[in-house]
Amino acid sequence: MSSFAGRELLNPANVMEASYDAGTTLQQDNGLNFLGKEVDTGTTIMAVQYDGGVIVGADSRVSTGVYISNRASDKITAVDDRIYCCRSGSAADTQAVSDYVRYFLDQHRMEYGQPPKVATAANLFQMLCYQNKNMLTAGIIVAGWDKEKGGQVFALPIGGALMEREYATGGSGSTYIYGFCDAFFKPGMTKQQCEDFVTKGLCHAMARDGSSGGIIRMAIIDESGVERKFIAGDKLPYGPL
Amino acid sequence: MSSIMQYNGAAIIAMAGKDCIAIASDKRYGIRNQTMGCQMKKIFQVGDKTFVGLTGLATDMQTLDQKFRFRSNMYRLREEREMSTEAFANMVTSLLYEHRFGPYFCEPIVAGLGGEDGKSPFLCGMDLLGAQVRTEDFMVGGDCTEALYGLCESMYRPDLGPDELFEVIAQCLLSGVDRDCLAGWGCVVHVLTPEGVTTRDLKGRMD
Amino acid sequence: MLPSSAPLHEALGLGGFNFDNTRRNQVLGAQGVAAPRVKKTGTTIVGVVYKDGVVLGADTRATEGETVCDKNCEKIHYIADNIWCCGAGTSADTEATTQLVSSQIELHRLATGKAPRTITALTMLKRKLFQYQGNISAALVLGGFDCNGPSLYTVYPHGSTDSLPYVTMGSGSLAAMAVFEAEYKDAMSVEEAKALVQAAIMSGINNDLGSGGSVDMLVINKDGNTVLRNVVRPNERKFRKAGGYSFPKGTAKVLTQTFTPLSSLPIDVTTTRSPAAMEVG
Repeated sequence: MSSFAGRELLNPANVMEASYDAGTTLQQDNGLNFLGKEVDTGTTIMAVQYDGGVIVGADSRVSTGVYISNRASDKITAVDDRIYCCRSGSAADTQAVSDYVRYFLDQHRMEYGQPPKVATAANLFQMLCYQNKNMLTAGIIVAGWDKEKGGQVFALPIGGALMEREYATGGSGSTYIYGFCDAFFKPGMTKQQCEDFVTKGLCHAMARDGSSGGIIRMAIIDESGVERKFIAGDKLPYGPL
Repeated sequence: MSSIMQYNGAAIIAMAGKDCIAIASDKRYGIRNQTMGCQMKKIFQVGDKTFVGLTGLATDMQTLDQKFRFRSNMYRLREEREMSTEAFANMVTSLLYEHRFGPYFCEPIVAGLGGEDGKSPFLCGMDLLGAQVRTEDFMVGGDCTEALYGLCESMYRPDLGPDELFEVIAQCLLSGVDRDCLAGWGCVVHVLTPEGVTTRDLKGRMD
Repeated sequence: MLPSSAPLHEALGLGGFNFDNTRRNQVLGAQGVAAPRVKKTGTTIVGVVYKDGVVLGADTRATEGETVCDKNCEKIHYIADNIWCCGAGTSADTEATTQLVSSQIELHRLATGKAPRTITALTMLKRKLFQYQGNISAALVLGGFDCNGPSLYTVYPHGSTDSLPYVTMGSGSLAAMAVFEAEYKDAMSVEEAKALVQAAIMSGINNDLGSGGSVDMLVINKDGNTVLRNVVRPNERKFRKAGGYSFPKGTAKVLTQTFTPLSSLPIDVTTTRSPAAMEVG
């Protein structure tokens, strides 16, 4: 089969299989095993508190191996009117978990008689992620607004720890912007300052991280409601490189 | 690494003619390259107008034949009618797919007459998980399918009568097994018409 | 006495998967016997949302290893009159999964008395695939038209889903997506959408080894569905010998011949026994 080597290498299905793993040998079968790879949101996500609310932001790239299976996805998922989550890790796992939480919160809202608290949503996420930690690859940021405590951010990394933060970042791209966030985050920013902080952080991460990219999606959550925004890929303040 | 489907060896062809079908198999029973016998039954009649040919691991072929016979007999007792060939094929599919995560190593070929008039050919091949391939011309199975496909693609003609169909299927099978170590040693051909079944044993190479 | 809480089919041990052979097959696998190849549709399947509906498309090749085992299979599966689903991956899985969801949707329609929605079918599919953690290898493109208008989704074997205006799946998805990325426009007419889907599938057929055969399409809109089977057949067999090969009667040497008239079904009680237990080795 050596004469076919070139063609086999060119077959995108095989390139997808080989992926990043240098130890993986190229499949010499017919290259139809495109199903093996799990859909992964190699991602940059962040959520930041500001004076009066919270902003959640994410890139839009979803990859299957080295193929971008969705370049305009929405990783910001609503689990209640004013509670959102950013998903990173396995797409299947995080979708399933957030579907459950949305279902539980719908029930809880009816029994509770008022909108659920952000902390309640975060605890539901933790319950599912911790109890099923052996089966899940899910890094989630829960953020939202409630009338008791205003805008809040909870980080829920893989493994199921739950930490309340002033801001949180996650996904493969976040490693590139730890320094940026340390340097430029200030407590009690205005909405505009916060929006600039999120946009800047995300676009720098997207420029450096191969598995983050596309457009920036944001949700600005405060007492008045939720405002969804997006910044097109060619209108980013920085990058693509 | 050889596949379990090549452990016992088999070659089966089914073909559709005009108001008739033919289904043929070799008769070798072997364990890898050692031939154990040459009277192996690989085609089973499960109803008046339904045949199923089984290729793959012999133990699973016989287990499946028993399960098929049990189910179609139960159907006949409950419903007081014959199972149609299409219904039988769907039953085989569901039985095989039920074992999706621990399959029987068997690839069945279902052939029969059905339809409104009871004489339209029905041909259907399956993989070991029960995925159907329905065709209007021919279906092949076993461990020399590449050869059989090629032969049938060139030698098959539509709308043949039972006698002509017999000659075509016989030539396809005999030529196919000539190039397969794991199949051969005599062949059997069943030709099903609305009147009945003609079964012929063929003389073939015994090497 | 059956436990009253369990459904009858569960109490009787019917329904669901059967794992009786699983251990045996593992042992055979450990002895160095390769598992057989299963039928796959190394497919190109696509979908596009247009001005007032959805167009789905698929090629028609099914493969078993390197062998084309079906030159003209149907990959656009029926879920409901207004919801259809293209399947790629292991044929048995796409077939069984869509059939199961189709019947669940029909029962749901009868129970609620309302036309089924695409999102319902999507949720059923993703729950099932997530439950089996990717072991059911079905990669799907789901399209439908309901009270919320047209919708189009992809479903991956692990149970994740995406919603997009144009999608592709299968081994030919890259070839087809290249066409979509170059040519897609918002709010196309049905004719434009059909031409685009056809071009995308042709790109898969011509550039992906796992895809081939003809082009199947399906249009869903508020008026129902239109099945466009084999709209293009670019790969018809050419150069067939005129009149074919004929063999005169008696070409094959017959040793014995018996005739059994119908309606005298032989009750077969023969059992074949091998002299000793078989061994792999």
